[in-house]
Amino acid sequence: MKKQSLSVLSFIIAMSFFILTTSVNAAPGFDDKEIRIAAWGPQTGPAAPWGSVARGPAVLASLINEEGGIHGRKLKHFVRDDMYNPAQTKVVVKELVEKQGIFAFVCGTGSAGGLAVKDYLAENKVIWVGPATSIKEYVFPVNPYLFSIYPLYEDEGSILAKYAVENLNIKEIGVIYQNDPYGKNGLDGVRQRLDKLGIKAVAEIPVESTEKDLSSHILKLKNSGAKAVLMWVNPTSGVILLKTAATIGYKPQWIASNTLSDFALMHKISGGLWEGVITGAFMLSPDSTDARIVRYRNAIKKYAPEERPGVFFMAGMMFTEPLIDALKRAGKKLTTEAALKALNSTKNFQGIGPRVNWTAAQHQGTDSVQIWRCGPGGSTILVQDWTVNELAIWKKK
Amino acid sequence: MFGQLIMEGLAIGICYALFGIAVVIIYKTSEVVNFAQGEMAMLSTFVAFQILTIYQWPFWMAFIGTMIFAVLLGIFIEFAFLRPAKDPSLLGLIVITLGAEMLLMGVAGWKWGAEQKEFSLPFSFSNTHELFKGVIINDWTIAVFITAAFLMIFLFLFFRYTKLGVAMRATQQNQHAARIMGIRVERVFSFAWGFSSMIGAIAAMFFAARSTVDPAFMMEPFLRAFAAAVLGGLMSIPGVVIGGAILGLLENMFGYFWPEWKPIVAFLVIIVVLCIRPSGLFAKHYVKKV
Repeated sequence: MKKQSLSVLSFIIAMSFFILTTSVNAAPGFDDKEIRIAAWGPQTGPAAPWGSVARGPAVLASLINEEGGIHGRKLKHFVRDDMYNPAQTKVVVKELVEKQGIFAFVCGTGSAGGLAVKDYLAENKVIWVGPATSIKEYVFPVNPYLFSIYPLYEDEGSILAKYAVENLNIKEIGVIYQNDPYGKNGLDGVRQRLDKLGIKAVAEIPVESTEKDLSSHILKLKNSGAKAVLMWVNPTSGVILLKTAATIGYKPQWIASNTLSDFALMHKISGGLWEGVITGAFMLSPDSTDARIVRYRNAIKKYAPEERPGVFFMAGMMFTEPLIDALKRAGKKLTTEAALKALNSTKNFQGIGPRVNWTAAQHQGTDSVQIWRCGPGGSTILVQDWTVNELAIWKKK
Repeated sequence: MFGQLIMEGLAIGICYALFGIAVVIIYKTSEVVNFAQGEMAMLSTFVAFQILTIYQWPFWMAFIGTMIFAVLLGIFIEFAFLRPAKDPSLLGLIVITLGAEMLLMGVAGWKWGAEQKEFSLPFSFSNTHELFKGVIINDWTIAVFITAAFLMIFLFLFFRYTKLGVAMRATQQNQHAARIMGIRVERVFSFAWGFSSMIGAIAAMFFAARSTVDPAFMMEPFLRAFAAAVLGGLMSIPGVVIGGAILGLLENMFGYFWPEWKPIVAFLVIIVVLCIRPSGLFAKHYVKKV
């Protein structure tokens, strides 16, 4: 009997040890000396140019640390490559949460990857500020741990379609969109605006992000009579579209999502074809003389001289700004709840992006975009300043 | 409309076929499907980019330099990765090529970074000519057609009339007998890998000129080229050209009328052909080795 009890006891101790060492035991993400933040993004693969977003917060963290940190705590930033693959996003996020202990995520590129981890982050009470992509599913219904700054692609679609019809006076609108939430949200916005204006798009064509031959898509757009083509695609697809259009002499007004607004890059990799393309924009131009942008450009030179101070690298800083603001307001006694309370009371926060407002009932921070045109040599021409989408359905709920 | 659809479909299909020929040459000699084919071609294209853009050499010198690099790379991969494997199974060989693929992608990412690069050829896609009313052809497409035609004639003569070509065919049919007949099988393998790598690099440069260059840019074309090779017959060079053309036309038709289905056409082709005619449409017969 005694022997049996000993066996049972040993079994319980062994099992307890096993459970204790293998269960999810996320660290709180901060201590008296540091606050750990992290971002994932494609550092390799076809969407890699968007991956620099994830590296931007490191420079902002260095700037903050140079000033003494936040209430005496230094910021430590982690970056992971998810290759724009949702399965990989899950792996890297789990590793960061369970091994490193992350207080808050910032940025996070790729809508499919974000959707794959948003519930996991909420279940583990990890804050996520400024996803570097924007889809309705992130913020509707309100996720208490997720705060978005990025204008919805739906709002952007609506604003760009309005610009095409009312400012450029083009009624024959074609849309080419990536066959995922990113592309479909953009398409929804265009449809809402065109419905309002009593116009129907002459073509709506889905495209997969990996496709290298888009000749049939271009032919379809040309035959539809589209004089302006709005696109929600990745940079490589954007270049292929313009190059393929050139092979058959098709020259519509190209209008693209803000994801293709890194003009320096797009102009270079398209062999100059990007000149004249109009895009949405979610932040001030990186070559602007605005004092905040100049400060960030200098910080990049100092802390990450190997990085190009383009739209996406700086966007990483922009997406992190409201978290820094909230952490400062949360005070010295930091807890997740204190940070959430501060984030939920963000009012008219103005960094290098659009004005941000969050409440406990509304975590979509903005509906504004700027409109840019790619100028000679990949320069940025501001054609329309911050514009709100008066059709934004989510604001009327 | 149909004329232009056919023209565009043939252009991209022949480009798949060019790359498919590279796949077939290795398969014809060693019966290995080389999953590193795309990345070998990608690395060679990066070398061409380096010579053209960074060193600013004239195109034809850069082309010759790239071809030499591609041949050496093919020989190196065969020598360093495939040859040391002791009595490898077919699966083992495939896994080795997959490993080489990852390695080459890592090397390119490390050396040139993940950002896309612009790559251009002297045959511009924007120089267009109207063949018939409503059917436009550009210099890039003309160059693809001429290259494929030249290569087909060359390969036909090579495999039929040269000692090395006959040795390659003999090695494919029976390695043991070829060895007894005095053929240095290892050299044949090295040559096949070097030659295949060179053809792959030519095809990759055509693909790059239509899109951009990055470490992953040849993954998709490889799958299409593989589908073209399976469709035409992994042993048949004319078969892969016809297979590529059919695939290009099919994809373009689907892309125009049912764009949602276009990305899966190539995979459907692989599955259907493997189920109905495993040796491909144009291979003479299917020999199962035991």
